[in-house]
Amino acid sequence: MSSITNIVDIDSELATQSPQEILRYALENFDNIAISFSGAEDVVLIDMAYKIRKDIQVFSLDTGRLHAQTYRFIEAVRNHYDIKIDLVMPEAAKVEKLVKEKGLFSFYQDDHKECCGVRKIAPLRKQLLTVDAWITGQRRDQSPGTRAEVPVMQDDKAFSRPDDSLTKFNPLANWTSKQVWDYIRANNVPYNELHDQGFVSIGCEPCTRPTGPGQHEREGRWWWEEATLKECGLHAVNISK
Amino acid sequence: MKITMVKKIFADGSPCKKCGEIEEKMRAAGQLERIDRTVVADESNEQSEGMLLATEHAVDRAPFFIVERDGESAQIYTVYFKFVKEVLDAETSEEEEIAEIMNDVDLDFL
Repeated sequence: MSSITNIVDIDSELATQSPQEILRYALENFDNIAISFSGAEDVVLIDMAYKIRKDIQVFSLDTGRLHAQTYRFIEAVRNHYDIKIDLVMPEAAKVEKLVKEKGLFSFYQDDHKECCGVRKIAPLRKQLLTVDAWITGQRRDQSPGTRAEVPVMQDDKAFSRPDDSLTKFNPLANWTSKQVWDYIRANNVPYNELHDQGFVSIGCEPCTRPTGPGQHEREGRWWWEEATLKECGLHAVNISK
Repeated sequence: MKITMVKKIFADGSPCKKCGEIEEKMRAAGQLERIDRTVVADESNEQSEGMLLATEHAVDRAPFFIVERDGESAQIYTVYFKFVKEVLDAETSEEEEIAEIMNDVDLDFL
């Protein structure tokens, strides 16, 4: 399962399949697998997965800075599906150190990376050490500049245990925002009330704002930072796709 | 064991900042001496050796490291801290590791 060849081959095969089929593959091939739920429209993953397997593992990163509406929504999802949702929290000592040294809104002066490192990445790493695979709601249309090639299945080298592998599934990679919302409406899936207030992408309260007509959803996140393309990807300019 | 480092230059000829930072870090730590070959992936030339190696090993990040050992298939490392920990037996701090992850991971889906 963990060899690059296998994952690339399976990804190619799954790439043309529906999110439900991708989820079914993931849930049938990994026992110790968890859904990462952000408290936004990725709730569709929970709905789809629950219809395949009732004992799904779900976790959410509780950064301590989410909107009250998001906390209420997470609770609503927990009750709606009668599932456990693990709230994964940052290490108190690290948050205290950051706030003591830089205050509560340092990300507006610096950038969001230090705060996200403490409140999201460190707890996420710890959580992912406990599973063999995880499922995210990443979609290609969320960030065309940096996410144009999100595979539906990948070998997650950043978060894997030492000398071990971690498989990451992105079942919604090929779906558009419209398809996600069509699914939510057609299946009466509960959703975060912030969406009715113009929020498209939802994260921490200080770093999220509603977007207007014609704005890309990423303009609602970390909007004060210069939009720069990530430069670690390899993109041949003259390779015909 | 043979280690190849593949670093990138952009299509306009400018160097990849992350590749440069990692190379500098390795130089300061004396780790560059452990690299047998450094190869360039030139984004303007898909036939450049680095681009061909990226295609061969299904890699879409830079820099990356190819570790070849006798009788074993090549191991690919796209994460620097994993490479130095697992191959060079070097120590890295959690802060450094998180900082590297932050450069590669979009966070809006979490």
